[in-house]
Amino acid sequence: MISKYGLRIVALGYLALLLGIPVALIFINAFQDGIGAAWDAVTTPEAQHAFYLTFVMVIVAVPLNTIFGVLCALAIVRQRFRGRWLLNALVDLPFAVSPVVVGLALILVYGRRDGWVGQWFADQGIQIIFSTPGMILATMFVSLPFVVREVIPVLREIGTEQEQAAATLGAGGLQTFFRVTLPAIRWGVAYGVVLTTARALGEFGAVSVVSGKLSGQTETATLYVENRYQRFDETGAYAASVVLALLALVTLLAMNVIKPKEAKEAKA
Amino acid sequence: MSIVVDSVSKNFGDFVALDDVSLNVRDGSLTALLGPSGGGKSTLLRVIAGLEVPDSGKVLIAGSDATNTPPQRRNVGFVFQHYAAFKHMTVAKNVAFGLTIRKRPKEEVESRVDELLKLVHLDGFAHRYPSQLSGGQRQRMALARALAVQPRVLLLDEPFGALDATVRKELRAWLRRLHDEVHVTTVFVTHDQEEAMEVAEQIVVLNHGKIEQTGSPKELYERPSNEFVMGFIGPISELSGRQVRPHDVEILLEPADGSAEAMIDRVLHLGFEVRVELTLGDGEKTWVQTTKSRAEELELVDGAIVWLRPNEPADAPVPA
Repeated sequence: MISKYGLRIVALGYLALLLGIPVALIFINAFQDGIGAAWDAVTTPEAQHAFYLTFVMVIVAVPLNTIFGVLCALAIVRQRFRGRWLLNALVDLPFAVSPVVVGLALILVYGRRDGWVGQWFADQGIQIIFSTPGMILATMFVSLPFVVREVIPVLREIGTEQEQAAATLGAGGLQTFFRVTLPAIRWGVAYGVVLTTARALGEFGAVSVVSGKLSGQTETATLYVENRYQRFDETGAYAASVVLALLALVTLLAMNVIKPKEAKEAKA
Repeated sequence: MSIVVDSVSKNFGDFVALDDVSLNVRDGSLTALLGPSGGGKSTLLRVIAGLEVPDSGKVLIAGSDATNTPPQRRNVGFVFQHYAAFKHMTVAKNVAFGLTIRKRPKEEVESRVDELLKLVHLDGFAHRYPSQLSGGQRQRMALARALAVQPRVLLLDEPFGALDATVRKELRAWLRRLHDEVHVTTVFVTHDQEEAMEVAEQIVVLNHGKIEQTGSPKELYERPSNEFVMGFIGPISELSGRQVRPHDVEILLEPADGSAEAMIDRVLHLGFEVRVELTLGDGEKTWVQTTKSRAEELELVDGAIVWLRPNEPADAPVPA
């Protein structure tokens, strides 16, 4: 009995101290001058642009990383080739490397003056660093592993028999993928998408390095929060934080709302 | 349609799965590939299906070379040991899969699915999901799914291996009846000799990637071509250095020509069958199978001295 409740107290207490209380305080602080002030703080043109830019990051990075993630997981689990272990290890690199280092690395590749291919892009009239493309690349890099990591164990678990059965029934590669494999891994993909979205929403370090932090131009929501905080605009910082927290929450809830419904259908 | 396997070999790394295997399966027959695990039977079945490509040799289906035809275009039905049910589809959608892929008209698909679900006794389960079916029901669904596309041959890989004993017995008898109704050339893999004997017309015994013997159940039991087949296809007991079927040994109360003296250790009454465990004069242990009435007639009791004589010398294995 003691150990049963002891475990719960430790788990909940740990979460409360690390997560619950700080997040609750953000909400309290955001609304300390009233809901009106908080609303005004997140609807300024700068704030609106910051949220728009974060939205762009998510809308580009998440689909691309989802497609790449599923293909990459398929290659790692279903195929045998030299360097497969290397691909498997490289996918985890964004987990291991600090986002700041990722940002600097991107500058080394795409930087306008000294970058490896930056000059070429500049000649084509495309600016990558200190502009939206670079920020998208940074977001993609840091949110890359999630779909791969969620899909790999599911692919291993479902095995190859369903795919082989589809083949003997006449289904070609693409038909098998869309009719059998993808539906079988859909919860892995969905969870990967949720994590990727949450990471893309919250990315700060790498984007910060390549953005140049031009307010109203290259400032995402997280950069906007920092900017407001540095300028002692606490209501602005906390109100924007609340919006970010709510967006993350909605993403997580969306998944939990869809999932039980599907499970219920299967049982009915 | 007939199946011809011509000198097929297949290695997985250092492991020899199939070593120059040749086999003929007659049109409309029901054949069992029997052998211990790792003997190559599943690999052979998968080579016929196109799920494995042989290193050398040929596979002919209905007379035409199918060796390099992908599984999609072989038109074979394949049933897996663990059902390989499409878990996210209803029973009806599972069965309809091959027809949907072939873009058949909706009405045709529906009527064919109904017909097949009746055939496998799953009518009324059309809108369930595989997770709501028992193992036996799932396997019948998988069978209906394989039959839906009217395959030229039906291949089953240990189809009853994951089911419990009662269901397995039921499905064996049922598969036999189904084959009488559908007449599709059928090959199934099993490691259970009783299953092979009960269901198949032709049994192919595979061991270490080679075919040991091919024949009808009766032929294999009565005229095994070597000790492996003899041991695999039925019980054996040793008598004076020879292997005989335990029911082909006569128990005598007096010595006779060619008989060996033995002492009864234990008499086990198993209903109609009586199993007698004995120790021979040279200290070797053996056992003999007899009937209840014969045991009572001879008044067999523990500790009694008897004489054993193999009664049909023709049953002895012919050296390979």
